[in-house]
Amino acid sequence: MKLIVLFFLLFSFMHADDLLQEESSYELGEGVKIGSLPLYLGGYFSLDYQQQNDEKRYRLDDIALLAYGSYSKFSYLTELEYKEFYTYTQDSNSTMVEQDTHLHIERLFVDYNYNENYMLKLGKFNSQVGFWNLLPINVLRDTSSNPLSTEIIFPRFTTGVYGAYTSYDSGELKFDLTLQNNDDLDANYNNYTIDKHYALGLTYSQDFLELKLNVGVFDNYIVNNTLQELYYFLASLQYETQDYKIMAEVGTQKSDERFITPYAGYIQGLYNITPKHAAIIRLESYEDRMTRLEDSFAIFAWTYRPLYPVAWKVSYQVHSMKSANKFLFSWSVLF
Amino acid sequence: MKIFLFFCIFMSLSAQEYAVVAKKGMQKVSANQIRALFLKKTSYIGDKKVVVLNLSAQESLRMSFEKKVLKMNFRHLKEYWIKQHYLGHRPPITLKSQESIIAFIKKVDGAIGYVELKKVDDELKILYRWVD
Repeated sequence: MKLIVLFFLLFSFMHADDLLQEESSYELGEGVKIGSLPLYLGGYFSLDYQQQNDEKRYRLDDIALLAYGSYSKFSYLTELEYKEFYTYTQDSNSTMVEQDTHLHIERLFVDYNYNENYMLKLGKFNSQVGFWNLLPINVLRDTSSNPLSTEIIFPRFTTGVYGAYTSYDSGELKFDLTLQNNDDLDANYNNYTIDKHYALGLTYSQDFLELKLNVGVFDNYIVNNTLQELYYFLASLQYETQDYKIMAEVGTQKSDERFITPYAGYIQGLYNITPKHAAIIRLESYEDRMTRLEDSFAIFAWTYRPLYPVAWKVSYQVHSMKSANKFLFSWSVLF
Repeated sequence: MKIFLFFCIFMSLSAQEYAVVAKKGMQKVSANQIRALFLKKTSYIGDKKVVVLNLSAQESLRMSFEKKVLKMNFRHLKEYWIKQHYLGHRPPITLKSQESIIAFIKKVDGAIGYVELKKVDDELKILYRWVD
């Protein structure tokens, strides 16, 4: 509890600083520079409410601190996070309080920028797969929840080496390679327990259009420490103008013997009604043989941003499995 | 027809010419490379480290640069830099005037900025020009 109080005091202090931005030049959502050091500090948090059937859940989810900077050809970033810090769940029969006070290492990496075309990353980072996993925090994404295809097909985090070649000659063309052959840093925090992840990516963007292909393989440790090798493929498309954005992704995952996720995908439309208000509709469908779930659903969402780094979001999900219908409301801030 | 001709002449006379400039000796760059540099997707031209310079947000020249070269409006760029903060990247350095940008470019090897074309002198190399 003390930590929550301390955190909100820190946030209040930074927000107060924002009110004096003419003097300090600090702006909410852009972090603060620490003296003359190559060090910037920032962070984010997210509060949400979910109602599913007769269950209501109140949650202080992400509380994270970021530190980053660059010097010469090197740059670094570290992110420490409390995940699902406080959860209060209530249904018609019981109430439950859960607290996870373990401070996780969300990201910890060093980049080496060799020249215009080549860069190398070493450490723990968000797997550079698809669109949503690059900016996987509530305040920066379009809706409170990620599409399922970005949650079940590939490991969210990689601890290893990432290299990319980018050409800016005509449009932007990027080839990238991910290599992990070691344990995860903070292994409990990943959606899969992995000690191997090899992946290739190809991204092309020009003006409003971005296309992306990712393929990869990773080892997944399941019950009784049994090892399972899983292959995945994800194709992504995004077309974004100043008024609207259309996104679509489809992926699949298989083991040596069979398809674990024969398909998982979505198509989403976002329309900026005003600079502060956006309406979003997303249609998702997936079949997951690991969990034996098959579902299609629609998400109707509204996001209000009084300032871009402050997001109030509301959404309703209508599922083919009616018991999964849910209402979500969240407030998140990046500072 | 006369009105149309008058309108065209008037528009061409009122149009301003601008240029992205660096110190003489800097290699040629494409519009895409300039966009990548000012969005900090890279900090290099080839193997050369580059420092990109912005004017302050209220300057009409900066707005023109963002619209015509970066092809983004103010809100879009604001969103872009907030996302970049999460990724650990910072926006370009901001200087108060075109004169400061020119002085900085002449003093610091690898500096790139944008100014009105009429302010470009013999010590500067034009990398890209546009009309607004």
